[in-house]
Amino acid sequence: MKRKAYLGIDIGSISTKGVIIDENNKILAECYLWTEGNPTEATKKVLLSLKEQFDPERYRIVSSGTTGSARKLVGSMIGAKMVKNEITAHAVGTTTLHPDVRTILEIGGQDSKIICVENGVAVDYAMNTLCAAGTGAFLSSQAHRLGVEVEEFGEIALRAAKAAPIAARCTVFAESDLVHKLQVGCPKEEIIAGLCKAVAGNYLNNVAKGKKIVPPVVFQGGVSKNAGVVRMFEEELGMPVLVDENGHLMGAFGIAVLAKESQKEGEFSFDVADMEFRTREVTCGKCANHCEIICVYRDGELIDSWGNRCDNGAIKSR
Amino acid sequence: MEIRIDDRKKVAFPRFNHYDYAIRYIVEQGLEAGFVLLPPATKETADLGSRYSPDYACAPFKHTLGSLIEAVEAGADILVETGGLCRLDYYGELQKEILRELGYRCEFINLAEYMGGKKKEWLRLAKHINPKLNPAKFVTGVYEGVKMAEYIDEIEAAYFKNAGFEAEEGSYKKVYRQFLLEMQMAENKNEIRAAYQKARQAMSGLAQRIPENPVRIGVVGEYYTVMDEHSNQYLQEKLIRLGASVHRFMNVTNCHFRAKASTMLPKISEYARYSMGPTTTWTINSALDYAKRGFDGIIHVKSFGCTPELDAIPVLQNISRDYHIPVLYLSYDMQDSDTGLDTRLEAFYDMLERKKKVLQ
Repeated sequence: MKRKAYLGIDIGSISTKGVIIDENNKILAECYLWTEGNPTEATKKVLLSLKEQFDPERYRIVSSGTTGSARKLVGSMIGAKMVKNEITAHAVGTTTLHPDVRTILEIGGQDSKIICVENGVAVDYAMNTLCAAGTGAFLSSQAHRLGVEVEEFGEIALRAAKAAPIAARCTVFAESDLVHKLQVGCPKEEIIAGLCKAVAGNYLNNVAKGKKIVPPVVFQGGVSKNAGVVRMFEEELGMPVLVDENGHLMGAFGIAVLAKESQKEGEFSFDVADMEFRTREVTCGKCANHCEIICVYRDGELIDSWGNRCDNGAIKSR
Repeated sequence: MEIRIDDRKKVAFPRFNHYDYAIRYIVEQGLEAGFVLLPPATKETADLGSRYSPDYACAPFKHTLGSLIEAVEAGADILVETGGLCRLDYYGELQKEILRELGYRCEFINLAEYMGGKKKEWLRLAKHINPKLNPAKFVTGVYEGVKMAEYIDEIEAAYFKNAGFEAEEGSYKKVYRQFLLEMQMAENKNEIRAAYQKARQAMSGLAQRIPENPVRIGVVGEYYTVMDEHSNQYLQEKLIRLGASVHRFMNVTNCHFRAKASTMLPKISEYARYSMGPTTTWTINSALDYAKRGFDGIIHVKSFGCTPELDAIPVLQNISRDYHIPVLYLSYDMQDSDTGLDTRLEAFYDMLERKKKVLQ
């Protein structure tokens, strides 16, 4: 008999991640690529890549889950049994791999969060509220301005003798700080180190405000791949910060674990990668709320819709 | 042939959750004047309010201004705005100016001017609205209207406490909506009481299915945003749909008629020695109470830039640390999308539920 496997997909604003795990939470297949503003296409690509790594002779996928900002759309697309927010998914994923973790720091493309863990279960969390200052999007826009690839940031920052002081609370102010530093002839690596320090400082002052950071600390999300930010965190906190090599896949891994735990099983087929998915936005005209209802079509047939605040706006498939 | 023209003046108040019905009762039955009952607020209301408000005014200002503009458009003769203990006290004045500049020529009564005034002043105001006023009927009307507000608070609290555990989907909502409908139609105290008793009886007869790890959440925060469903994007409704039991101490009954700041301050003396303004004492008192009673989590609600509630946050952080109870802080401006809120609430609920499962 074939062994059971579970699929998890994490569709973020910047990147889309997918993993397949077996019953012992071992990763059988993984994929990481850019969303490029098109979650359905990105998911198809992820599924095709996972299909190549997957051995259908030995395993069969019995359940699937989606998380991230496009979880609902992709969830109805692949018929996921588990559709959950990314905070829960990250907490579950990390505590599964690191049962002794106490604090999870996470900086993603457009959000950042902190999760406090006790006895292997999340007990408190906080998330950035109003803007995306000090997240991956901020770093990549600054990288663009400096003419460097954001992937090289960490390496360059580590070479700097000291970090230039830069305010990271607001992206606009940070940018004027940065321009000023460039004009006075500050070396590029010091500015980059300053940016990394600003990201860490902003995170600790805003998102982690009022939260006690207890070791062991795990740092994940796209920005955790930046060695400069990791070092700044270690300096600020005065404790080692662990970055898991699979840190970028943690959301997808977590949702796969959740799908496994839910024990809801259903047929999953890689065929969805070949189907055509289309979404359409309808503005409901039945009251002044003008809800934007999102309809998802598979090969021209309506499979799901959401976004209506009341029953008057419900659109049902025939 | 006698032509009867309704020459009663039509009074309007900004929307405020379901208290519109009680205010309407006071105006129609007590003052014997007309009342403009507005339909539920929509996105249009919020848009209207934000368009004509100063950018940095807090969200309640924008919501109430939107309501007032819609009320004039609906034919109100007299607009009434209340006063309060924070910036709210100045809002009536400002809204009056804004409406005048927009060219609306209706009368505007700013209750801030009457706060702390003598009873005689209030009676004069009532006589101004209705020259044929019967003072005895007015007093009875106010009393019965207040009673209605108390009943609404009680049924609402029962609804949010239990509906998350309902065995049949929508059974609580059905009773609750019927009750609110009857509150809209009630014309005397017997009708009010009958509807209240019916709703109580119906709710206590409904079957519940209490989950393995029931989650209890206490909601605290700033007066208007925490009570007005439209302002807080139906926060409590979202929580009961996730399956939680939701408690909110702050309501008109507890804020104005029952709990007094002077009796609450000694209870919270460990955390705050003096009052920090409008509703912070209620916020801290109820948060501490939820923590002591072993609730699973607290949600703190305020409008963006609300200084008194901002001052309460460090105190809540202390309570959170001492009693090991997570607090979710929500700050409302004029958002369009529910997505961010949904993600946070779902994560909060999941966390509390998993925590209970593992740590029990």
